Amino acid sequence: MTSAIRTEKLGKTYYSGFLRIPYVALQEVDLDVPEGSSFGFVGANGAGKTTTIKALMGLQRPTAGGAWIHGVSILDPAARARVGFLPERPYFYEHLSAAEFLDFYARLTDVPASERAPRITRLLERVDLLRFRDVPLGKFSKGMLQRAGLAQALIAEPDLLVLDEPMSGLDPIGRALVRDLILQERKAGRTVFFSSHILADVEAICDHVAMVDRGRLVRQGRVSELLEGATLHVEVVVRRGDVVETRRVPPAESDAAIDAARRDGWTIVSMHSVTKSLEQVLLGDVDRSRPLETKRLGVLA
Amino acid sequence: MTRALKRIQAVAANTFREAVRDKVLYSILFFAALFLLAALASREVALGDREKVVRGVGLGGISVVGAIIAIFLGVGLVYKEIERKTIYTLASKPVPRWQILLGKYFGLWATLAVEVGILTAMYTLIIGIEQGWPGSGVYVAMGMLMLELTLVTAFATLFSTFASPLSASAYTLCVYVIGHFADDLYTFGKASDNEAFKQMTLVLYRIVPNLGMFNVRTEAVHGVPIPGSEIAWATAYALGYTTAVLALAMVIFERRDFK
Repeated sequence: MTSAIRTEKLGKTYYSGFLRIPYVALQEVDLDVPEGSSFGFVGANGAGKTTTIKALMGLQRPTAGGAWIHGVSILDPAARARVGFLPERPYFYEHLSAAEFLDFYARLTDVPASERAPRITRLLERVDLLRFRDVPLGKFSKGMLQRAGLAQALIAEPDLLVLDEPMSGLDPIGRALVRDLILQERKAGRTVFFSSHILADVEAICDHVAMVDRGRLVRQGRVSELLEGATLHVEVVVRRGDVVETRRVPPAESDAAIDAARRDGWTIVSMHSVTKSLEQVLLGDVDRSRPLETKRLGVLA
Repeated sequence: MTRALKRIQAVAANTFREAVRDKVLYSILFFAALFLLAALASREVALGDREKVVRGVGLGGISVVGAIIAIFLGVGLVYKEIERKTIYTLASKPVPRWQILLGKYFGLWATLAVEVGILTAMYTLIIGIEQGWPGSGVYVAMGMLMLELTLVTAFATLFSTFASPLSASAYTLCVYVIGHFADDLYTFGKASDNEAFKQMTLVLYRIVPNLGMFNVRTEAVHGVPIPGSEIAWATAYALGYTTAVLALAMVIFERRDFK
C-alpha cells in the first residue's frame, strides 16, 4: 500500500531568546500513513501533534529529517495540491460571508469557475450552513466556524484530509457531525489524518493510530493489531437454581472453566472478553519517568 | 491567465475586500474630505496668490492621507494574517508564499489607488466649483503620488513580514520622512566637516529611497509643465526599487515559521 504521508526522522527544534536556547519539539518521527486509511494521531497536549501537522502543511520548516505527501516533499507547495486542512482552532476571515469564504479557497485551489458555485452550495448543505451562506463569519459561533472550516478543507475535493483536533470544543451534536463526516470521507476512499487527545474518538473512527509523547513517536500501527492480545480476562456468568455468579478467568483457561462449571451443574448464562481500551494500550507506552524539563532545555539523549 | 496570476488575483481581491469593509478606512476618508473642504479656508490666512495656496494645501493633504493609509494598512498586511492565524489555512494551500505576498501587496495597492482616485475626484469637484477646473498637471502629480505610495507600501509590506505593526509603522515612517529629505540630507552631509557624519549621511542617502522626486505638486499648482523624462525616470525608479524591496520581503516571508 502506498503512503499518503511519510516522514523520516522528522525533527523540529525552536530557538528562543537572545541566547537561542533550544527547545526540541519533535525528534526523529517516522510516520507512515497508508492511503485510504483513517489515521488517528494521538498524544497529550504539547506532545508534538500540532508541530508535526504544521510541518506537513508547510507552516513550519522542519529542522531535521524529511516528509512527503503523496510522494512529494513537503517543502514543495505542490505536495499540498490534493490536501484539505483544518487547523486546530477555526481562525477565518471575519469580513467574508460563508459563501465568499469558500469561493476564496476554491480559487486558491484551482477549482474550475463552472464548478465553484454548485460545489459551495453542496458543501454548505453538507455541513448544515446553507441558511447562513451570506452571513459574515464574524457572526458565527465556534461550532459553525468549525463546520465552515471543514467545508473549506473539502472544497478542492482532496484525496487527503488533515484535521487538527477537529472535535475539540464542540458540543455533542457538533462532534457527531464531524465524526460522521470523517466516516463518510473514509468510505469515499479518502485518507483522513486527524489529531486528537481523546482516545475514545480515535478508537471509534480510526483503523490506524500513532502516538506521540514529548516529541517522539512511541507507537503506530493498525488499531486491530494494537488491541490484539489485549484481552484482560473472560467474564463468565453462571446460574444454578436461584444463585447467579460472575466468574473472571484468564483467557487461556476459559474453556476449561466453562467445562468445569457445567460438570458441577451450573448453566452458562453469558460470557464475554474484557479487553484493554486503546487508551490503556497506548498509555502503557508512555514513559512517565522521563522529566519534561529535559526537552525544554534541549538536552534530550 | 496562468494559475499563479489567478491565485495572486484571488489573494489581492480578498485583501481589497477586507480593506474596503474596514470601518477605519471610511473614518480616514471622511476626515480627508473634511480636510479638503478646510483647505478652502486656508485662503483667508494665506499670503500671496491665495488660490494657489488652496490648491497646494489640497494636494498636500491628499498626499499625506495616502501615506497614512499606505502605512496604516501596509504594516498589518502580513502581521495580521499571522496574528489572527488566518495564515494557517492560506499558507497550507498549494500556493507558493511569494504569490500570497504579491497578492496581498496588489490588494493594498488597489485600495490605495481607489482612495487616491476618490480624493482626486473630490479635489477636482471642490477646486472646479471654487476656481475653475484644474489643469492636467494635477493628475500627473496624483500619478506621481501613486508611484510614491507604490514604494512606501512595499516598505510597509517588507517590515510587516517580520515586525509588529507598531515597530513596522515606526520603520516605515522613518523611511518616509528620511526619503522626503534625502536631497537635504545629502547636501547637509556634504557641507559638514565631520568625516564620519559625512559618510553616514551618504550611506543613508544611498539606502533610503529618494521620495522627493515624486513630489511635483508645486509644479502642478503653478501650472508649470512636468517633463516626460522626469515622469519616466520616476516610474522606472519606483518600479525598480519596489521590485527589490518586495523581493527581500518574499525571501523573509518564505523563511518564516508560523507558530
